[in-house]
Amino acid sequence: MPGGLVATEATGRRIGIAARLPIRKIILWVLSILIIVGVILGSRATLQEGAYSAANWRDFVILGVAQGSLYALIAMGYTLVYGILFMINFAHGEVFMAGAFTSFFLARPLAESGFLNSNPVIAIGVLILFSILISVVTAVLLERIAYRPLRGAPRLVPLITAIGASLFLQNTFRGFFGARVRGYPIPEALRGRWDIFGLPILRTQFLAIVGAALLVVALYYLITRTRTGRSMRAVGEDKEIAALMGINVDRVIVTTFVIGGGLAGAAGVLWALVAQQVNFFMGFFPGIKAFTAAVLGGIGNVVGAAVGGLILGVLESVAPFLLLEGAGVPSVNQIKDAVAFTVLVLVLIFRPGGILGSAEEEKA
Amino acid sequence: MAVATATRRARIEEFDTTPESMMRRAIKAGLIGGGAAVYLCLVGIVPRFDEREVISGLLNLGRTILILTVLATGYLAARPAKVLPGQPEPPAPKAGVGLTAGLVSGAIAGFLTAVLLLLGDAIPMRNVFVAVTDRLLDILAFGQNVWLGALLQILFAAGLALVASGVHLLRPALRSAFLTGLVTVLMASLFSTIIDQILTGTGEYVRLQFLDDTGWLYDGDALTVFGTILLFVVAGALAYSRATRGSLIKRRMEAVPEAQRTTVKLIAFALIAAFLLVLPHIAGRFISDVLGTIGIYILLGLGLNIVVGFAGLLDLGYVAFFAIGAYATAMLTSPSAFTEGPLTFWAALPVVVVITTFCGILIGAPVLRLRGDYLAIVTLGFGEIVRVLVISEWLRPWTGGAQGILSIPDPNIGISLPLIGGPELDTPQELYYVILAFCVLAVFVSYRLQDSRLGRAWVALREDEQVAEAMGISIIKTKLMAFALGAAVGSFGGMFFAAKIGSVFPNSMVLLVSILVLALIVLGGMGSIPGVIVGAIVLVGLPEILREFVEYRLLVYGAVLVAIMILRPEGLFPSARRRRELHEEEIEEAQFEARHGETTGAPVVTAGGSEDVR
Amino acid sequence: MSLLQLSGVSKYFGGVKAVDVVDLVVNQGEIVSVIGPNGAGKTTLFNVVTGFNDPTSGKVTFDGFDITGLQPNQVTRAGIARTFQAVRLFKNMSVIENVMVGQHSRTRAGVFGAIVRPPGTRSEEKKITKRAREMLAFFGDQFPPRFHDELAAGLSYADRRRLEIARAMATEPKLLLLDEPAAGMNPRETEGLTALIARLRDELGLTVVVVEHDMRVVKGVSDRVAALDYGKKIAEGNYEEVSGNEQVIEAYLGKKHEDTRGREQAVAGQTETEGR
Repeated sequence: MPGGLVATEATGRRIGIAARLPIRKIILWVLSILIIVGVILGSRATLQEGAYSAANWRDFVILGVAQGSLYALIAMGYTLVYGILFMINFAHGEVFMAGAFTSFFLARPLAESGFLNSNPVIAIGVLILFSILISVVTAVLLERIAYRPLRGAPRLVPLITAIGASLFLQNTFRGFFGARVRGYPIPEALRGRWDIFGLPILRTQFLAIVGAALLVVALYYLITRTRTGRSMRAVGEDKEIAALMGINVDRVIVTTFVIGGGLAGAAGVLWALVAQQVNFFMGFFPGIKAFTAAVLGGIGNVVGAAVGGLILGVLESVAPFLLLEGAGVPSVNQIKDAVAFTVLVLVLIFRPGGILGSAEEEKA
Repeated sequence: MAVATATRRARIEEFDTTPESMMRRAIKAGLIGGGAAVYLCLVGIVPRFDEREVISGLLNLGRTILILTVLATGYLAARPAKVLPGQPEPPAPKAGVGLTAGLVSGAIAGFLTAVLLLLGDAIPMRNVFVAVTDRLLDILAFGQNVWLGALLQILFAAGLALVASGVHLLRPALRSAFLTGLVTVLMASLFSTIIDQILTGTGEYVRLQFLDDTGWLYDGDALTVFGTILLFVVAGALAYSRATRGSLIKRRMEAVPEAQRTTVKLIAFALIAAFLLVLPHIAGRFISDVLGTIGIYILLGLGLNIVVGFAGLLDLGYVAFFAIGAYATAMLTSPSAFTEGPLTFWAALPVVVVITTFCGILIGAPVLRLRGDYLAIVTLGFGEIVRVLVISEWLRPWTGGAQGILSIPDPNIGISLPLIGGPELDTPQELYYVILAFCVLAVFVSYRLQDSRLGRAWVALREDEQVAEAMGISIIKTKLMAFALGAAVGSFGGMFFAAKIGSVFPNSMVLLVSILVLALIVLGGMGSIPGVIVGAIVLVGLPEILREFVEYRLLVYGAVLVAIMILRPEGLFPSARRRRELHEEEIEEAQFEARHGETTGAPVVTAGGSEDVR
Repeated sequence: MSLLQLSGVSKYFGGVKAVDVVDLVVNQGEIVSVIGPNGAGKTTLFNVVTGFNDPTSGKVTFDGFDITGLQPNQVTRAGIARTFQAVRLFKNMSVIENVMVGQHSRTRAGVFGAIVRPPGTRSEEKKITKRAREMLAFFGDQFPPRFHDELAAGLSYADRRRLEIARAMATEPKLLLLDEPAAGMNPRETEGLTALIARLRDELGLTVVVVEHDMRVVKGVSDRVAALDYGKKIAEGNYEEVSGNEQVIEAYLGKKHEDTRGREQAVAGQTETEGR
């Protein structure tokens, strides 16, 4: 008989006093307060210094909205795939890049022949369609080759595969097209600014914002009103039951990748027009930031991804100038990246469900 | 379950050996093989690698890669059926069918490359695909005009694939001999620099003329024809004898009585240790340097192995600990940094470890309760934040900004030791020894951790977090332990990196490092300690030895990660436990089958509680 | 003497009242069964007691201490152990390794002990192994030593249930919560289980709370029975009282019809086949 099965140590001592102290909550509160104070102080310093005019701020914000719109498009791709497969498609940034970069080789002859300037609408339309095609093909190949074999695997496995696929795609395009940054041609019609409600907005940025908005609305309609959208949501809820209901799970998953890829492809050309350049590495950081946006808005929530994208875009654009002028940090771009990452870290620590999600993260 | 049955059904079809299905597979293989060959050309591997000779005067690496691709195509096209547990043995394919399959697949593959050749000649593809140079077209056309070249492509590919498919017809022993010979020749050629160096070095040491002058084997970077044939025959013969008569070593071991077996193992162990100790002196300066780098990555790998392999936490920002370790060492020991009265390497060591471990706890505490994917991204974010911090102007007074920190002194062991050197460890050979010592220590610590109460808690955590918690395991504390230990070991990697190179730059602290360390763990087998060592040698050593590789390093790392996850997720040298964990579903299905006989393929819905409860 | 006390415990998931103001007292040395139709909230009750869910309101007291809202590992350390409705073993660990993990909260070796292995750690490891074997030995010849290194995944279903109990015992609890331990067992195995539960109390002095559907087990083992339905406690008493209770019968079978006697028999019969 295993004598003394019940340990004799007093129950009270076992539980210990520290058991009750919500140490985590305390630390988190302290951190939050520090961050808020830091933000306020930094902002005050900058605004007091008056280094930037109102016009500057306006431009920052508009750029933020434009970039944010594009983040939103890419983020929706992430969130769609996540909603169905519960995996982060790390390589989605490369899907974006594939379309954008490849479209350059169509844009160049269009520009050289003058067609781009004479028929900008058709030219841009063709470029977008082409980019969508390439991105969709990439996304479908990705799903077929790298993700489908791993449907049942423990979560770590598809994630590592996605990282590997991302590396592979980046360097494939580097091998194909070279490491040089290419300047993306812009039609005459899109140079300069338009006056929208009294605000001068760069024409390319305006196109990006409008284009993204249209696509977001289209996607929302697709998800909520059409049969395809319903099937996608069903598969996201429960794959096996959906299959028993007669839904072709494989086809739905491919459709999801197609839609995500299409959005990314469109975003690719718009991005190329705004940034005026493409290269093989252009997908990496936007991919991570778009993912941040998706998480910020609530992963799995399409509207959330759009909202998160906008917020992140503006934050990223404004925050470096707002906060760090005081600290005298010269290189803005690096801080932009750091801002995005910091947002990600903060969201995941404080509110993993995102803005439009629940405050309690799943214990799964 | 329904999804699993569908996949299994597809797999069964694949292994059918009727002529129709063989033809289908041959066509598929040909398309894939041809696509791969075209890809390798377009991405630039073929033309770039072709600058290196494999067999002197005869064969270059680029062509060899194409040849290997076609051989693989033919081999796989004619592959006979694999047997799943519980399946009846399928009929073996008729010889003619297999050979035809090979021929067809090769022809298709050759056709695709021929198309590339013709297209490349007809239109200026170079404007888009930068790798389609005249040189590439020349390679593809066998130096002839394009139309003849295209025809030769198809014929040559078909012929090669035919030969490869014929390998299946050989007796297993011969097949093994053929393949081993091929692989040995290839390895010997690729690693010519290091093998040449070791032979020459040993030859000098031991004063054997034929070793010292390796002209019979190597002509520059490539094998001589004589050497090729010699190696192929010898390796093939050894493989043949092993296949027919069983491993010589195994048989010899079984002949030894039980009691003496441990002594034999100890002797073998001592021999390996002796080899490792003598290595820097026979391998020379360059290779010792490479070995030192490999050693640093072994340290990093062992550290990440604790986090990812033991505790199952995917950390994509491991470079942060590497960076903190390296920069802390630099800041503490370099006279050009802001500290006055810099410390010696050894005095700084404990401080660096403590700082890094503390940072590990700081980073880990808020994020370790997040789910796998989120944790991965957050740690990636931390890694990037650290990089931005060290390159920032804001921290420049301490970290040197974009210029980094220079003049990091080498460790000094105070006395001069035989064989090893000293007192100041400033040559690659000397540093190798100290790195080797720490690697041994890290391996020791890893094994001890694995086989302890903490190790068990980690396994429980990986298996079922909730149940582990119900067993009284504190999830946060256990995960933090892993994170902190990982940070500590990683800091050693950073320390030696700083000392070895003598300076630290922010550009060394990139995401790539995290991914490389992850890749080498994945390749070797997550959680497997020998796997980490093998992974480091392959993924870190290879690019150093094969200079042509360098440009395509990342491409290869990415491909390796994907390939391993799909084909063999447990890695090359997995622990038995890991292999079980990753093939759980297949094992369960096999067990289910064994108990219930063949299923019809329809989804099986089990009533809750009556049989296998998941 | 009361060992476990639930006072007004409720757990609401949004609109769903999984546990609805439940009061329950379990005394030292008792075996209490909790019954009720599927979805009545029995497992949620266990989850609240063991810290897997925080209660929406109410208090859980164990051995005089308030353990409401503690983390599961703290609850285990306090002296409560549990098994799960679906057997959740560490499938890729061996039989004995599974049980050894149970000893985690009663041992201390940390990083230093793992790496350096001082005498204290080494003797602790030996003690863990010894304890684990003792736990397994409690099951008589179900787990002979030659099975100890077998993988948990390879065991028969009934053996896996028993292993889970052995693992829970290894945490040296005062109170053991068993969640449907007899599910999926054949009659012979069920008899063995009933005897086992009684032995747990008689030989080891454990207090046991059992969630069960199989009335044979409930009848054979319980000192007291509590019945839940839609999260509320609808009856409490000994087996005869509860099984004859109108509300309990209604919960299992639905609204009342004429044949009362027949229905009582039907309850006993129904739940016997249900618990197959």
